[in-house]
Amino acid sequence: MATLEARNLTKNFGSTRVLRQVNLDVSDGEFIVLLGPSGCGKSTLLNMIAGLESVDEGDIRIDDYVVNKVEPKDRNIAMVFQSYALYPAMTVRENIIFGLKQRKVSKEQTEKSLSHFSKMLQVDQLLDRKPAQLSGGQRQRVAMGRALVREPQIFLFDEPLSNLDAKLRVEMRREIKKLHEQLGTTMIYVTHDQIEAMSLATRIAVMNEGIIQQIGTPQEIYDKPNSVFVADFVGSPSINLVPGKLEKNCKGFNFVPDQQPDGFNIPINGYAFENSPQEGQPVILGLRPEHINLSNTFQDAHLDLELKPTLIELTGYEQNVTFDFQGHEVTGRLPRNAQAELGSPLSLSLDLSEISLFDKETSFRI
Amino acid sequence: MPAVDLQMEALERSASRRRTFYRWLLFLILGVFAIYYLAPMYVMIVTSFKSMEEIRKGNLMMLPKEFLLDAWKIAWGGRGYDAGDVFLRPFFWNSTKMVVPAVVISTFLGAINGYILTKWRFKGDNIIFLLFLFGCFIPYQAILLPMARTLGALGISNSITGLVLVHSVYGLSFTTLFFRNYYVSIPDEMIKAARIDGAGFFKIFFKVLLPISAPIIVVTVIWQFTNIWNDFLFGSSFSFGEAAPIQVALNNMVLTSTSVKQYNVDMAAAFIAGFPTLVVYILAGKYFIRGLTAGSVKG
Repeated sequence: MATLEARNLTKNFGSTRVLRQVNLDVSDGEFIVLLGPSGCGKSTLLNMIAGLESVDEGDIRIDDYVVNKVEPKDRNIAMVFQSYALYPAMTVRENIIFGLKQRKVSKEQTEKSLSHFSKMLQVDQLLDRKPAQLSGGQRQRVAMGRALVREPQIFLFDEPLSNLDAKLRVEMRREIKKLHEQLGTTMIYVTHDQIEAMSLATRIAVMNEGIIQQIGTPQEIYDKPNSVFVADFVGSPSINLVPGKLEKNCKGFNFVPDQQPDGFNIPINGYAFENSPQEGQPVILGLRPEHINLSNTFQDAHLDLELKPTLIELTGYEQNVTFDFQGHEVTGRLPRNAQAELGSPLSLSLDLSEISLFDKETSFRI
Repeated sequence: MPAVDLQMEALERSASRRRTFYRWLLFLILGVFAIYYLAPMYVMIVTSFKSMEEIRKGNLMMLPKEFLLDAWKIAWGGRGYDAGDVFLRPFFWNSTKMVVPAVVISTFLGAINGYILTKWRFKGDNIIFLLFLFGCFIPYQAILLPMARTLGALGISNSITGLVLVHSVYGLSFTTLFFRNYYVSIPDEMIKAARIDGAGFFKIFFKVLLPISAPIIVVTVIWQFTNIWNDFLFGSSFSFGEAAPIQVALNNMVLTSTSVKQYNVDMAAAFIAGFPTLVVYILAGKYFIRGLTAGSVKG
C-alpha cells in the first residue's frame, strides 16, 4: 500500500527533452494508466519511478520519502515488462523466487508465496519448465508471478500485453483488472492502447511530448477531453474534428464550419464554456462517432441533417459509416440494420449535448 | 484429364532428375575440395609412421608397409641422449600452462567488458568500445618492443607467466568485441528485471547473463585457444630455452637437427603440435549452437 508523488520531473537524453516538468499524484490503491503514443515519455517516466533511469530534475516520493537516489530493489516496487524479461537459464520456479532469494526470505515463506501465487496465476503445473517451453500467455503469467510474489507496494507495468495476440490480450487484461480488485495494490500501467487504458484505469494520464496532457477518470478523459490531442488519441473510431468559427446568435453562439457558402450553422447554446468565447473565434468542433446516428435517436438538443455515405465498415454489431460533410470526412456509428448505401443521402441526427469545442490556436478546450 | 496428369508426371520426373544431378554435382565439388585440404594431413600422418628408408624410396602418398611408432616416440620423448636432443613433451606442457590461463582470463575479462559496455552504459562508453575495436587492428609486430619493456619491468620476461599476460592483453580486444556484440542482442529488460529483483552487478552477470552465454563462450574459446596455441611470434620473442611454448620448440626441433632430416619425426612432431586445436574444434564445435536465449523474450 503506497502513495506516489512526482514533482516537476524532468529528463533529458542528450539534447532531447523526454520529460518536462511532469507532476503526478497517485493515491493508495489507484490504478493509474499512462497513455500516449510512442516516444511521449511514458516508459521513461515509469523507469524513473522504478529507479532504472536517473532523475535530472524534480522529485519522486513514495509514501512521502524522496526516492530519487534509492536503488530499484529498495523501492519496494515490482515491474512487469513487455518482453516478459524472464531469465532464460532458470526454470519457472527459479524465475519466480529469484527476487525472494536475493532478499534472503526464509524457505518456508518462499514456498508458501510460490505455491499461493503460482496457483493464483495457474502456472503451478509449469514450475519445472524453462521459459522457452512456455507459450506467450504463460510467459506473461510467470512474469506477473515474479512481480506478485514479492508483494510490493507498487506494481509497475510497461506495456505488458503488447506482445500477446488479440484474444489473449483481452483475457489477460481482465485478469489484471481482477488482480487489482483482489489485491488493492497501487498500480501504474503504461500503454499506447486506449482500450486497455479505458478498461483498466481508475485514472488515466494522457501523455504527449513529455508532458501530461490530461489526467482524469476514463469517463472524464473520454467525454471532456481538454485538448484536441486527447480527444483524437482516445476513442476508436476517432472523434470527428471540424474546423470553423463561433458566431453570436440571440441566445448564445452558433458554430459555423469553414468554407460554408449557404449560411449553414450548428447552434451550440447548451454548451458549457470553460472560457469566455469570443465572436468570430476560430475553433474546432469535436463530436464522437456514436453521437452521429439515424434521425430520431437523440431526445436532447440535436440537429438533423442529410449526408451521403462515402465508406461503410461493418464491425459486427454495428457499422461505422463515413459521410461527406462539407468536404470533411465525418464518421458515425450506426446500428447495423441502418440502410446505409454509398452515395444515397441518409437522414441523420447529431447529439449536440455531447460536443467538445477547442480553440484552434492553442488546441485546448474552451 | 489423363493427358494433363501425364504431363505433370513428366514435369515432376524431370525436376527430380535435375535435383538429383545437381545434388551429386555438389557432393563431387565438395569432395574434391575436402581431398585437396586433407591431403597434406594425410601425407603428414602416413609419413610419420614410415621408416626413413621407406620415405627415401617410396611414394609420398603410399600407406606405410608397417606402422612404426618410433618417430612419434622420438618426437614426444626424445632419443634418450642429452646434448642437442630437442623433443616436445616439456614444451607441450609449457604451452598448456600458457594457453589455459590465458584463454580463461581473456574470455572472462572479455565477458565482463562486454557486459559493462552493453548493460551498464556510462558516459564515453562508445569511445572505450572504439578503442577496443582499434585494439583488434594492432598488428603483433607493433607491440613487440613495448611489451618486451613491460615484461622486463615486471620481471616476468622469459616465463610462462609473461606469455600468459601477453596473450591475455592482446586477446582482450577480440574477446570484448565478441561478448559486446552478443550481449547487445540480449534485451535490457532482463537486466532491469534482475535489478528490481535485487540482484547486483556480479549476481546479474553470473546468474542471469553467463548461463545464456554458452554460444559466445565457445566461439571465444575456440578463437583464443587457436591463436594462443599456434602463436609463434610472441613465443619466440619473449621466451627461449626451457620456457618456450610448443611452436617454438617445434621450430627448434625441425631446424636444429644436424644430421639427416628425420622427416618422419618432423611430421609426427608437427602433428602433435597441431593436435590440441583439432581437439578443441571437435569438442567445442558440438556446443556451437545458437538461440539459447529463445524463450526469454517473445518467441
